[in-house]
Amino acid sequence: MNLGLELVKVLVYPGLLFIIILSLIVEWIDRKIYAKAQNRIGPYHIGPKGFLQPFADLIKLLTKEDITPPHVDKLNYTIAPFTVLYLSIIGFYFIPTCAWGTSRAILAFEGDYLLVLTIFSLATLFTFLGGWGSYNRFGAIGSLRALLLVTGYEIPLFICSAAVVIDAGTLCLSKIVMVQQGFNWFIIKQPLGFALSLLACQAELERIPFDIPEAETEIVGGWLTEFSGRKLAFFRLATDIEVTLLAAFIVTLYLGGPLGPTGPSIIYFLIKLFFVVFLLSLLRSIFARFRIDQALTFFWKYIIPLSFLQIIIALAIR
Amino acid sequence: MSYMEIPVGPQHPALKEPIRFVFKVDGEIIVDVEPRLGYAHRGIEKLAETRTYVQNIYLFERICGICSAAHTLCYVGGVEELIGVEVPYRAKYLRTIVAELNRIHSHLLWYGVLAHEIGFDTLFMYAWRDREYVLDIVEMLCGNRVLYGYNLIGGVRHDITPQIEEAMRKMIKYMRQRIKYYRKVTQEDNLIRARTQGVGMLKRRDAIELGAVGPTARASNVDMDVRRDDPYAAYGEIPFNVITYKDEDSYARTLVRIDEIEESLNIIEYALSHLPSDGILVDTRRYLVKVPIKEVVSRAEAPRGELIYYIRSNGTNKPDRIKIRTPTLANIPAVCVMLKDSYIADIPVIVASIDPCIACTDRVTLVDIRKGKVIEMSHLELIKHANEWYRRCSK
Repeated sequence: MNLGLELVKVLVYPGLLFIIILSLIVEWIDRKIYAKAQNRIGPYHIGPKGFLQPFADLIKLLTKEDITPPHVDKLNYTIAPFTVLYLSIIGFYFIPTCAWGTSRAILAFEGDYLLVLTIFSLATLFTFLGGWGSYNRFGAIGSLRALLLVTGYEIPLFICSAAVVIDAGTLCLSKIVMVQQGFNWFIIKQPLGFALSLLACQAELERIPFDIPEAETEIVGGWLTEFSGRKLAFFRLATDIEVTLLAAFIVTLYLGGPLGPTGPSIIYFLIKLFFVVFLLSLLRSIFARFRIDQALTFFWKYIIPLSFLQIIIALAIR
Repeated sequence: MSYMEIPVGPQHPALKEPIRFVFKVDGEIIVDVEPRLGYAHRGIEKLAETRTYVQNIYLFERICGICSAAHTLCYVGGVEELIGVEVPYRAKYLRTIVAELNRIHSHLLWYGVLAHEIGFDTLFMYAWRDREYVLDIVEMLCGNRVLYGYNLIGGVRHDITPQIEEAMRKMIKYMRQRIKYYRKVTQEDNLIRARTQGVGMLKRRDAIELGAVGPTARASNVDMDVRRDDPYAAYGEIPFNVITYKDEDSYARTLVRIDEIEESLNIIEYALSHLPSDGILVDTRRYLVKVPIKEVVSRAEAPRGELIYYIRSNGTNKPDRIKIRTPTLANIPAVCVMLKDSYIADIPVIVASIDPCIACTDRVTLVDIRKGKVIEMSHLELIKHANEWYRRCSK
């Protein structure tokens, strides 16, 4: 076993450094597309076409004063940003990117699909703890809304991805990619599941139309209200990585991950990833915000029954 | 049972200006509302007493940056009545055009703000982009985007040129398409309807009892519009419809404003093609040196509703007292009724739906803290009190 290569894999490519840089690029793409849809320019000044703006934002926030209000629940307030960041990075280690020519992700075992889903839930739980622990009225309402929203989107996300897993016959994300070889992508077999997963991801990421937990005009910053400086930077970075992680998750399940005709697979992975990010940004720009009760009604009335339909179809055509 | 109290404001992202609401909430439902005004009091009414009638035009323009044309129009209308001057017809028509351009950009601004409050930022950007077009036209005509300085006592400052008229017609054509699009978006987008329909109900009876004005009242099916009921400028000669809706909710208030933009476009088009050719300004300087002792009430329909100016002269070149009733002040009691029994998530939509302009609204009330009583004083009593207080202090 080449220890040096393993270390490079974990820390540089396709590990830590790659994940952080990729997620910041994803933020730039997201902001540019969102701005384009709104007839704006978007990030412009730093780097070519504002390419380095997310990096600059991150560095700026890291240098800002890190305030811990005296009345907060110190433990929850302090560990939440770090845990959320840590969890989202860990989740990415299970995504097969085909870097270095291997089809396996850095970490892969039979059942890592379940672990990644757990990581999604845990990340939301820790954002709740952070918001709740900040003892702020807006933070409390925001984090309660975040928990309420979980009951809406997690179920369809799990059910839809379960339909893929049933079809693929494996619980390992790297193997799910292998099953899709030869343009046998699951988006062709399960287009409904793909669409529903996209919507659920949008809710998971708390973006319009599901940005209810941090609805700026209603409850200021939601669960983010009391965070500043380094903690805010970590939360924002974690959000970017979550966007990338969820997009990569969808790419893995439905678009055949890094599979492509010839050449380095990482290119195909990135193209597909950016395509999903594009779809997510587009979704964000064409909707208004739901009210929390409307969002839950939407999920329980339409999305969850449809995802059950998807799993029945998957079982029938298997 | 005690309820959780949520303070909103005076600093809050949903409020563009400082006002404070204390909401008593039961879960997500609002039980009681307590508004608190006075964070942006600027003492303009008092300041006006120290300035001449001409200087006051520019002061009142600055009461509200959005409905600046309505304020000056209302004020100069009142002063002209004081000194008994008749304005040339062309000036009246030009005043009408500027007032309607003002209404269009104000309503577009409001539409964008509403879209932002319900989280629809794309629509917000679109509405504000189109508003820029109107502002450009205003700049061509008046030389300024926000503070026009256009209405003078006795007429208007600039005449319209053929180029500006052509640009205006082009703008009208473009804006008609956009309004059609915005109406379609508002009526067909499920999320906009879900967030506005049935939100912030204001029954017709409540609207009349609480003295709601403008689009807020018209959306509750109260058929009132100063432009038609008490015509000023050229409104008496221009045909237009008063838009009313029966829905009584924020959705109706949105549609009322969108339809009003279209009516404004019609008014501008009519005014442009029927522009009289007499002068634009009469010299009123000699009347303004010694204004006869009189009092007048001047009314105008600002974009937000009925605007009232009470002007009392004392025989000099400065007014004795000017009292301004801005439309937002009239709508604050109505918004408190709308907020009751609605969700926290609907607060921004409801507050925005009256198109609040807080800085116009702030007034001073004397409250005796020890007794917890509101003191009412007449104008003369207040002056006497002020003089005595300063005499005491200087001792």
